[in-house]
Amino acid sequence: MTSPSPLQTRRQMLQTSALGFGALAFQSLLTGASSNDVASRQAHLPARAKRIVFMFMKGGPSHVDTFDPKPLLDRDHGKPLPFDLPEVTFAKQGNLLKSPWKFHRHGQSGLPVSELFPELAKHVDDLCILRSVHGTNPAHGGAALKLHTGSDQFVRPSFGSWISYGLGTENENLPAFITICPTLAHGGVNNWGAAFLPSYCQGTPIGNASLPAAKIRVDHITNARISPKMQRQQLNIIRQLNRDFNTRTSPNPALEGRLDSFELAFRMQTSMPEIQDLSKESRASRQLYGIDDPLTDDFGRQCLMARRFLERGVRFVQVTHSDSHVQWDQHGNLYQGHTKNAAEVDRPIAGFLSDLKARGLLDDTLVLWGGEFGRTPTVQGSDGRDHNPHGFTLWMAGGGVKGGFAYGATDEYGYYAVENKMHVHDLHATILHLMGLDHERLTYRYGGRDFRLTDVEGNVATDILT
Amino acid sequence: MRRSPVSDRPEIIIHRMPERQLGKPEPPVYSLLSLLLGNRHPTLLWITRGHAKKVKIPTDLSRNPKTKHLTHATNPRLARSSVSWYIIVLPNMRSRLSTILILAIMARCVGADTISGLIKDQAPHKLWSLNPVSSPGIPALHSDFVRTPVDSFILQSLNEKQLTPAPPADKTTLLRRVTQDLTGLPPTIEEIKRFLSDSSPQAFDRVVDSLLESPQYGVRWGRHWLDVARYADSNGLDENIGFGNAWRYRDYVVNAFNADKPFNQFIIEQVAGDLIPNPTQESITATGFLQLGPKVMAEPDIEKLHLDVIDEQIDTLGKAFLGMTIACARCHDHKFDPIKQSDYYSLAAIFKGTKTFGGETMGAIKYWYEHSIASDEDKQRIEQADKQLKKLNAAASSYKSKALAKIREQARSKAVDYLVACMEFNPDTSLAEITSIARIYGLHPRILHHCRQHLEFQREAPFFKDWHRFSAARKTDELRHHYQSIFDELKTQLTALPKDNPSNKKLTDHRLEAARVALQDRAGFLAVPELDSFAFDPNTLAEYYRLLTVARNFESSAPDSPAIMSVSDGETATEIPMYVRGNHKRPGPKVPRGVPTAMHWSQTLPTLPSNSSGRRELAEWIADPRHPLTARVMVNRIWTWHFGKGLVTSTENFGTTGALPSNPELLDWLAAYFIKSGWSIKAMHRLILRSSTWKMASQHPLGDRYSQIDPENELHWKQNLRRLEAEQIRDSILAVSGRLDPQLGGKTLPLRNRQFVFNHTSEDHTTYESLRRALYLPVIRNNLYPLFEQFDFPDPTMPTGSRHETVIAPQALVLLNDPLILDSASAMAESLVEQDQDETEAIQALYLQTLGRHPTTEELQRDAMLLANLFAQTTKHESWMLYCQSLLASNGFLYLK
Repeated sequence: MTSPSPLQTRRQMLQTSALGFGALAFQSLLTGASSNDVASRQAHLPARAKRIVFMFMKGGPSHVDTFDPKPLLDRDHGKPLPFDLPEVTFAKQGNLLKSPWKFHRHGQSGLPVSELFPELAKHVDDLCILRSVHGTNPAHGGAALKLHTGSDQFVRPSFGSWISYGLGTENENLPAFITICPTLAHGGVNNWGAAFLPSYCQGTPIGNASLPAAKIRVDHITNARISPKMQRQQLNIIRQLNRDFNTRTSPNPALEGRLDSFELAFRMQTSMPEIQDLSKESRASRQLYGIDDPLTDDFGRQCLMARRFLERGVRFVQVTHSDSHVQWDQHGNLYQGHTKNAAEVDRPIAGFLSDLKARGLLDDTLVLWGGEFGRTPTVQGSDGRDHNPHGFTLWMAGGGVKGGFAYGATDEYGYYAVENKMHVHDLHATILHLMGLDHERLTYRYGGRDFRLTDVEGNVATDILT
Repeated sequence: MRRSPVSDRPEIIIHRMPERQLGKPEPPVYSLLSLLLGNRHPTLLWITRGHAKKVKIPTDLSRNPKTKHLTHATNPRLARSSVSWYIIVLPNMRSRLSTILILAIMARCVGADTISGLIKDQAPHKLWSLNPVSSPGIPALHSDFVRTPVDSFILQSLNEKQLTPAPPADKTTLLRRVTQDLTGLPPTIEEIKRFLSDSSPQAFDRVVDSLLESPQYGVRWGRHWLDVARYADSNGLDENIGFGNAWRYRDYVVNAFNADKPFNQFIIEQVAGDLIPNPTQESITATGFLQLGPKVMAEPDIEKLHLDVIDEQIDTLGKAFLGMTIACARCHDHKFDPIKQSDYYSLAAIFKGTKTFGGETMGAIKYWYEHSIASDEDKQRIEQADKQLKKLNAAASSYKSKALAKIREQARSKAVDYLVACMEFNPDTSLAEITSIARIYGLHPRILHHCRQHLEFQREAPFFKDWHRFSAARKTDELRHHYQSIFDELKTQLTALPKDNPSNKKLTDHRLEAARVALQDRAGFLAVPELDSFAFDPNTLAEYYRLLTVARNFESSAPDSPAIMSVSDGETATEIPMYVRGNHKRPGPKVPRGVPTAMHWSQTLPTLPSNSSGRRELAEWIADPRHPLTARVMVNRIWTWHFGKGLVTSTENFGTTGALPSNPELLDWLAAYFIKSGWSIKAMHRLILRSSTWKMASQHPLGDRYSQIDPENELHWKQNLRRLEAEQIRDSILAVSGRLDPQLGGKTLPLRNRQFVFNHTSEDHTTYESLRRALYLPVIRNNLYPLFEQFDFPDPTMPTGSRHETVIAPQALVLLNDPLILDSASAMAESLVEQDQDETEAIQALYLQTLGRHPTTEELQRDAMLLANLFAQTTKHESWMLYCQSLLASNGFLYLK
């Protein structure tokens, strides 16, 4: 790609950078393609993480049954919540419900993890457990959108898109943002969409939640009718036709860009299936991720694929744990549902963390785990928990966060975040910070306004940084 | 470059600061400010109309590391706007109080008593777009370039910069451009030949006239409007269900464009077609405009739902007709534009009196309002279909519950086997191993897996304590015997119970009661997995899915009750509370219905009748020729759709933060012309298409130099090179391969009204194989047709007047591998092989057909060689196919010069 002339407009810059999924967006931020833009002239922060993986647990895992133990729930089981419920609850709330699982302390940090995650518990010294996350929306759709885009009212770019916009990708053969088996419900495409950001920032979905991870493909990635050899020749014809056209028009980065976009597409046809092909992984590594055990196979494949994308320079990979139902949504049958859900992800996640560590990737990879909200400490029906956006747990690991560390707290029953409260906007600000982006300066002008992932909010949780 | 370092932060804007104050703010103000700053560390940034140097920045601010980088900023964008001073309050100054204090001080500084006094002081005419449309004189210029008044205005502005317009485009370029522009299709070979051989001066005008007469014109320009109307065939958002009757609105729009319905009438019908005198089905259909938005259908809070829908309606209405982001004022006065929160709620009251929801619901899902046009016969037909559907669904669900009952029963009958088998493995054993154990015992692997987990977690439960005791001692036989005897005894007792309702009878024996509960608890140790695919064996699953599919297929093709997706008047709301920060639980003071104060173009305001919503009066107020925005916004849209970029580039935002018009005189002249022409859109087409401005070539001999002076071509020194839009690409591929089906109108969504888009395995079975114009392909929110999505089809949840034009690799993947293009190239190859033409002739014809022009001699020679090379390696058919596809994927095809 030719180096952009200083006279190129931002529009042209974006058109050009779009084709390469390149880092030009960031370059334009840094080089001050716009001299009137104060924000862009300031270099952003040193990055603590180069890439990020988001393990999305669709439906809302219960924090009080996983990473946020509440002894008072055992004591006061069956008694009413001694303070007010939120104004709006999703369903009718009963009395307090103790956790069916025991918590044990693990690792040097001695942080408690429930029996639901025996394998993950071995990695607790790498986890930075955020116990005071809170959002606003008590419904799946709104909460999922809030978590992914910062807005549950309007269509906004997902945080993966913002990161792609800010940083681009390190691999010219791959998109910057890939989402594996995303759910089509509850916001669907908006959860990985670029909204008003240039479309190269959108997540490239591979399959969706209703497809087994072993069978997923990127749209249009294969051609059953034309052999690669003949397609290569076809590409050369297209190239010649385009060269002709381009020499007869004024210089235009979009036209030059299209030339390269065909080459990238052609390479993606080889690179994407190659990365998705897990058969080349050793037996040991497949086992590490729980592949070949029907229980963990599906999520294990997602995690292993994620690692393969990350190590090849993809900036943002999301994996989603969800079936065609709302997986972690135990309004009833908490015990059965959460047991199954946790068992499906425990080994794959633990395997993923070990693998990243062994490969030296954990230091500059940010791992984020969690759902769109937590669950109530009060019972719904006889054995379920309702949605709770008022205080829940996500955890991070790797790139720039303290391991074996618990941040913030919910009240003594686990209903509301009370200490070091971390709103979803704060979470986003912190993630961007870890990726070397200042959430107040990563802006995009649209419809006459400069938009940010964090709207007008967001504080970086500096306490969790190494 | 459209980035500002400031505007995403909370801002308080004070307009009309006296110029003399710019350099020397009153000293006491500074000391007071400093006092506040010292305490709170806020940042103040003072930006003036390009006079930044004159402004003395308080030194304590410029030294503060947090604010230093801001203080030297001048922002030309802001300087160009009418705002004189900004106070920017950074987020770290959270206190409202200090904000208000600073404002109060500023107020004192300019001599106003109160803040509101100051805001009021900001007269609407400070925003250019709120001034009445002027009637600028046409510049008297003598030049061959000037063929229409449009050219005079353009040439005038070019002259000012000493630029000259590009030469006219050649005839083939022009024909391809105009045909795509008006119909979204390429010209046929015959059309090209006819135009090239017509050397009369009226040749081009004749082409324009005949294209405007073609019904395909309405398909292309109707689609433009559907972008603005955020048209879709499904709801999206939380519950993605089909808008089975949206197509009627789509047809209405296409017909309106084809009939050149006066735009003022078009507005009135869309906003109040149900309220005009003698409403027709057509005019009621038009109000679909207000109904098509995405809604949170399952929102439990009805009051919130209604206010959110009203918000969506106001947002769309404001952006579509007025180019104003009115919805910004839901929570507070608009931060940039003279729209107050009270203005917002005055409008909201009008929509509050409008009925958008019908009475019925489907579970948690509310029904949007539809105007029924069903005959009694229709109703009978629908009733029958509903009955049949109910039956089919019941068949599936009863099959499922029977199958589940069977699995449950089997598991219970083998309860002891499960408990014995569980002794053979640990809780953390893989499901793979458990499966082989289950096979030996003839058990359900996932139930067995769950059973072991359950035992582990229920180790303290009395009933399972025994299991752990026996298991630890490896006493298999004892364990079997222990539980077998309990279950046997339980069976005896239960059989002995009176028959009326045995399963609900509690047993008095604690041991047996515990056994009964454990056995019958559906979430107990024999719980069946919740997921169908985990619970059922492949055959059962297949049968269950088959039944679901039968029901779904029936539903998809079942008749819809003929109805119009529209709005109607509800209970009139003459006033409505202003909700504090938009929160419907915090009503503030009430405001009466009305129209935004800053847009009052007359002293006489519309009087809103007490017995209707006031929508009709609102519509007439918008469509009035005196409204400063309506005509401007629409002519700018038309200009955008002809040139790829508007005179105002922010087509939905004519406010303070929007772009300024690149040629304000031309914009106003066009707006006046539009009104004078009787709001005729076709008249605008004729005016613009006949102009030399539109006919210019897309390259300029002095392009290199000019693109440094005016890189965005704002002055129109050449025509813009434009990529075809998603629908144009698809339709053109089908057209040149002879596969396009030109049929117009009707329902094309393969879903029944309100049917879920996603089936039982969250698959969307919508297909896009139809060969009709792309306009008629379903627009599924949350799951757009991939070809559309990749080629910048707008997000169908918000009004879009100008689409993106990106270049991304997935577009190349589509062009290389999508069946649509492969099939089309293959069809072209087939006919070439059949005709067995001379290659040179074939290439010539293909160039005309696909690129709309003759090849040059060099191209002809080169392509013949390329083909010969292919022929040497593969079949004639594949060679032609590869070559044709290359043409379709080339820039010459994808771009309009």
